Amino acid sequence: MKEKRSLETVERRISEFFLHNRRMPTYSEMTDLLGVRSKSVVHFWVKKLMAKGVLERDSKGFLKPLRRSLLLPLVGEIQAGFPSPVEEELRDVISLDEYLITRPVSSFILKVSGDSMIGEGIKPGDLVIVEKGREPKNGDVILAQVDGEWTMKYFTKRGGRIILESANEKYPPIRPKEELRLGGIITAVIRKYHR
Amino acid sequence: MSETVFSLYSWPRAILHVDGDAFFTTCEEAIHPELRGKPVITGGERGIVACASYAAKRLGIKRGVPLHEAKALCPGLIVLPSDYETYSLFSRRMFNVIRKFTPQVEEYSIDEAFADLTGMRRAHHASYETMARKIKDEIGRDLGISVTVGLSVTKVLAKIASKHRKPDGFTMIPGRKIPGYLRDLPVQAVWGIGPATANYLWKMGVRTALEFAKLPERVVLKRFTKPGQEIWRELRGESVYPISLEEKSVYASISKTKTFAPATNNPEYLFAQLLRNVESACLKARRYSLAPRKIVLFLKKNDFSFRGEEAKLVRPSAHPLEISGLLREIFDRICDGKEICRATGTVLLDLVPDRNTQYSLFESPMKAENIRRLYRAADILGGKFGKHTLHLGGSHLIEVLGKGRRGEPTARDQTRFLGETKRKHLGLPILHVKV
Repeated sequence: MKEKRSLETVERRISEFFLHNRRMPTYSEMTDLLGVRSKSVVHFWVKKLMAKGVLERDSKGFLKPLRRSLLLPLVGEIQAGFPSPVEEELRDVISLDEYLITRPVSSFILKVSGDSMIGEGIKPGDLVIVEKGREPKNGDVILAQVDGEWTMKYFTKRGGRIILESANEKYPPIRPKEELRLGGIITAVIRKYHR
Repeated sequence: MSETVFSLYSWPRAILHVDGDAFFTTCEEAIHPELRGKPVITGGERGIVACASYAAKRLGIKRGVPLHEAKALCPGLIVLPSDYETYSLFSRRMFNVIRKFTPQVEEYSIDEAFADLTGMRRAHHASYETMARKIKDEIGRDLGISVTVGLSVTKVLAKIASKHRKPDGFTMIPGRKIPGYLRDLPVQAVWGIGPATANYLWKMGVRTALEFAKLPERVVLKRFTKPGQEIWRELRGESVYPISLEEKSVYASISKTKTFAPATNNPEYLFAQLLRNVESACLKARRYSLAPRKIVLFLKKNDFSFRGEEAKLVRPSAHPLEISGLLREIFDRICDGKEICRATGTVLLDLVPDRNTQYSLFESPMKAENIRRLYRAADILGGKFGKHTLHLGGSHLIEVLGKGRRGEPTARDQTRFLGETKRKHLGLPILHVKV
């Protein structure tokens, strides 16, 4: 029986070709790939994929995958073991950079030296991403200067009063008396074990 | 007397000038919060003040002053080495914030940008003033640095606006209000008017920017060359200078200078430094496919006086190997081997596109072509392993004796995260706070 072609199957075929050969197929290769006879049918599907934002043409008219479309497949939640090709749904891909740093313009990096957030899993030596210019919400881990001292704490605001709590019993909660200057909100923690 | 009016409209165009406030030290204060409000200067590695914080400026410390003089003015002065890696991260972020409001952004220098907001009111549902204030606030909030913003109808006027009130200022000069801002402005304070033009204007009895702007057109056309006429138009609110989006690739000249410590009179070391200056300058020239017709070499003595000489090349060349003989000749004339020097430098002049080389009668085109291929390979090696991986024997002494003490290493250089190398660092500024 003749296979029914859908945008999904066409996209998958082309992606497989691209991942395998690290280049885009030509129209004549695509006739085989999609099991069609004429290049005009290929053109029909290519136009659909371009409309969907999967493919685009470069300045010379060659086809290329749009950024983050056909590149590394992001595998859905993996249990243990290797993903089977069927489960390997193609998704949009973000780099680790984009995953960890939502707002690159206002993000800074800080190396943690103390153990005040140990209960949150932030150890001395960890790198944290600090984002400036965002209002803290209850429960956020923040970097702040309180009465002259810099500190990293959970932020809580109740009835207009701010309480900063650490994730370590050694340190009592802080209720800022004089002033609290917000340094930023911790948006990610990075720990690397090997070079 | 009736009020002079240059422009009937407030916003024929909307040009923004964003200028970092004591940019280098402000960046340092953003990553070292404990320095905020203290007298801080950068440039420690050069022995002169490259940038002074506002607290340092209040104590009378100015840019370009030798370090010992600055320390005499303020014993508690905090001296930092320049950390250009961090400054350029902040610089790029500053430009990116402005790009959120308009695609037309000119990166004028590391801490200055021009932007054209014309026509963006509808897209942002905001007046030009609101947009300009938002840009300023977002830079302050997200980067933690203060900038001064000038908004007007031409680049020259936008620059006058941003100079009007600094630091952390915002000044707006709409077309109708131009004369008010020019009335008390000395004409030499206008961007583009140098001492020569200013003196000429003085002779004509023109003291202020307003008097200049009020000169009749026929006088301006008769007395001034094109640059002067353009500034006159810009001052009257007629936008002449475009916002240039392209990275600068046309250079009139390329110069490279290096100060080293301790100062020395060792001629071989001085020659090695000078040769390295030439190698660096030629590298940049080759990147833009340019080659100089003339070259200047100079030595800077310990008393800050210069000794230099200019030479013309037989044909344009950006390959140090071809001109090394000539360089040695010039060097031997300017270096007496006794005087102690603190810096060497070179300027490549009369840059022309490097193609269709006309070889001179007495040289071998084969040899020249080989040298060209050699430098193509050297540039590839440089891209992979760091510039000057392949260098002339004459400049090798620098690698042996070291590049000279360059003061304290920067805080960034002292931090190395797991997996970072000397040449490759994470692209985020590091906050130096102990928590």
